[in-house]
Amino acid sequence: MAEKKQGLHISGMRQFKAILKKDIVMELRTKEMLTSMGLYALLVLLIYRIALSQAGSAFDVTNIAGGLLWLAIVFTSLLGLNRSLVHEKDQGCLDALLLAPVDRPVIFFGKAIGNLLFLMIVEVLVTPLFMLIFGAGKYADASTAGYLALILLVGSIGIAGVGTLLATMSVNTTGKDFVLAVLFIPVMFPLLLAVVAATWAILIADPQMAVYWKMLGIAAVYDAIMLSAAYALYEFVLGA
Amino acid sequence: MKEIRTALWLAIVGGVMTTAAFLMAFFTAEVQQFGVVTLPKAINTVFPLQGQGADGFAYARPWFSQKIFYFHVPFAEASFLVFTVAAYFAVRFLMTRERSYDTKSRVAMEVALLFVVLTLITGDLWTKASWGVWWEWEPRLTTYFIMTLLMVAYFVLRSSLEDEERRAVYGSVFGIIAWINAPISFFITRVIPSDHPVVFKSGMATSNLVPFIVAQVGMLMIGYAVYVIRVREERMRERLEVVKDSLEG
Amino acid sequence: MIQSNETEFALEVRDLSRTFGARKALDKVSFDLPRGAFLSIFGPNGAGKTTMLKVLSTLTAPSKGKARIMGLDVIEDAVELRERIGFISHNPLLYPDLTAEENLEFFADLYCIDNPKERVKELLTAVELDHRRLDAVRTFSRGMVQRLSIARSLLHKPDVIFLDEPYSGLDPHAMDILDSLIAQIRDEHTFVMISHDLQKGLELCSHALILAKGKIVLFEEREAIDPDAFAATYRATVGMGVS
Repeated sequence: MAEKKQGLHISGMRQFKAILKKDIVMELRTKEMLTSMGLYALLVLLIYRIALSQAGSAFDVTNIAGGLLWLAIVFTSLLGLNRSLVHEKDQGCLDALLLAPVDRPVIFFGKAIGNLLFLMIVEVLVTPLFMLIFGAGKYADASTAGYLALILLVGSIGIAGVGTLLATMSVNTTGKDFVLAVLFIPVMFPLLLAVVAATWAILIADPQMAVYWKMLGIAAVYDAIMLSAAYALYEFVLGA
Repeated sequence: MKEIRTALWLAIVGGVMTTAAFLMAFFTAEVQQFGVVTLPKAINTVFPLQGQGADGFAYARPWFSQKIFYFHVPFAEASFLVFTVAAYFAVRFLMTRERSYDTKSRVAMEVALLFVVLTLITGDLWTKASWGVWWEWEPRLTTYFIMTLLMVAYFVLRSSLEDEERRAVYGSVFGIIAWINAPISFFITRVIPSDHPVVFKSGMATSNLVPFIVAQVGMLMIGYAVYVIRVREERMRERLEVVKDSLEG
Repeated sequence: MIQSNETEFALEVRDLSRTFGARKALDKVSFDLPRGAFLSIFGPNGAGKTTMLKVLSTLTAPSKGKARIMGLDVIEDAVELRERIGFISHNPLLYPDLTAEENLEFFADLYCIDNPKERVKELLTAVELDHRRLDAVRTFSRGMVQRLSIARSLLHKPDVIFLDEPYSGLDPHAMDILDSLIAQIRDEHTFVMISHDLQKGLELCSHALILAKGKIVLFEEREAIDPDAFAATYRATVGMGVS
């Protein structure tokens, strides 16, 4: 072993916090991702209004509300995931991260949790709006908010984790957004089925708690498996 | 040359076996007359309604569309098997960075895609023949639809990358993700609360097993033959490219 | 390979290869570079210069062969090695929306530097950007960006500094600043620079290397080089290289 001239005490935690902080500061300064994601979500709500415009006032939207909400989240996250990685690629900054003595998993967690935070902020803004505008919350009570928040969290973790891996790849392609969508949607399909079912279960007139917990559990299992895979594979993506 | 000859022999034997299975399926296999499927709601189908009980509507199990099983299920199993092979080579590539592993993985994925599409087509024919609908979002068909999309996504990803090594690395990574995702999809689509019944129920008599196995083995042989030929083709193409580059230099 | 702890060589490269299938970006490259040297690497496009820098700076792994920097192996000791190397590229490797200070503080955290604020201030002063430290990098001129980039790469006091065409796109004033900065830290540091500028590269270097099609065409100490002969070899190589 060669002698160490100076002792650099490498702390993964410090590096992780630095990466997270950098993404947050950059976002607060430009507000680029949040405004575009937020605006996009509102546009989706508008499109929903158009889609439901002939459904009639007797139409009970709570059956499909879960699906509509998660659809909006999926589209919004596709936008956000791409942008967060484009920053890194533009100025070659990802190389700067890779040149530093940072463990690759730290980069993964830093970016993934940053993406998760932004996604959750958008969800906090859009979900109540969605509930109000479409009357999806008509059978809801105080506890519904809690259950909704929980399923949003579990679903968003999966979206952010796997999405970060896929976006890191797609940002290097020609046709970035398109490629991300093509990769993302089939991979997310099982998770989305589960979280939509869980959301449906608590929004309908007669909440099916057994279904909710079962679907939540399945979504959690999906998260565990896919996130482990993404974590293990991220290093190869960075090294290419 | 020896490889091509082997591949051609395999293709011929495989073709013969599959045709034999086809003939057996229609002429010698025991026809299953019995069998009733009970569905929670009435559907539009050509097959007679046997009665309406407490648990739902009972339809007589159609007999000739049963034949599709001899192809649909072997295709389905072959496709997942070949998919697994592709994922295995992807893992080997990531571990060794040897280009030949990536070539094998990609070609296997092509063959798997072919089988998956055949699975969907035969599945579609089955649903049309028996239930009168062109598509059912039932678990297996849905999963295979997703698998098609995943495999197509694999090729979209590869063709959108210019750097060859990156293409191989990203392709392998996504191939592995897709392979892990497929069984999860299958499991989850079965567990989601829904109206759609699992219409593909097995349970065949023994004499039906013979054409089934013959078809399965036959198809795998054809698949392997295609794979071998394609790998050779790709290797030649790669070598040609290197020669072209050095001539330009 | 030298096994002792204290190695006199900054770079020890043995049969370094980077291949993918039949394509060879680097083909059995071998050379040694003593400490404190300044190596200029020349060669046509596609010769493998950038690939070599990427392998040596641990951004990519070699397919075969070994390379040791300051005694540390580029594969096995990669993480430790990254603490000791710096990289200046023609890409700024900086975040345009952050201020100069925030950029440097971020990298200081990545390198886990003690007393980050002091070190950042020290470097900002050294590159004469202290008065602009609260401005976003987006507002900087190319020369200023390059200066800040140099500051970034020196934060952790690396022993070996890699430069990938650092002068490209710089106006003469910025070039002068870069020259003087390099001159200031010339002692006790080893440099490896890729350059397309033959004159500049020869002027600064102590050793010169010409790469073509992944192989070494020439590796000499500067004193042994006859400028005209070298220029002729260089032109011949560029002529035959893959572009």
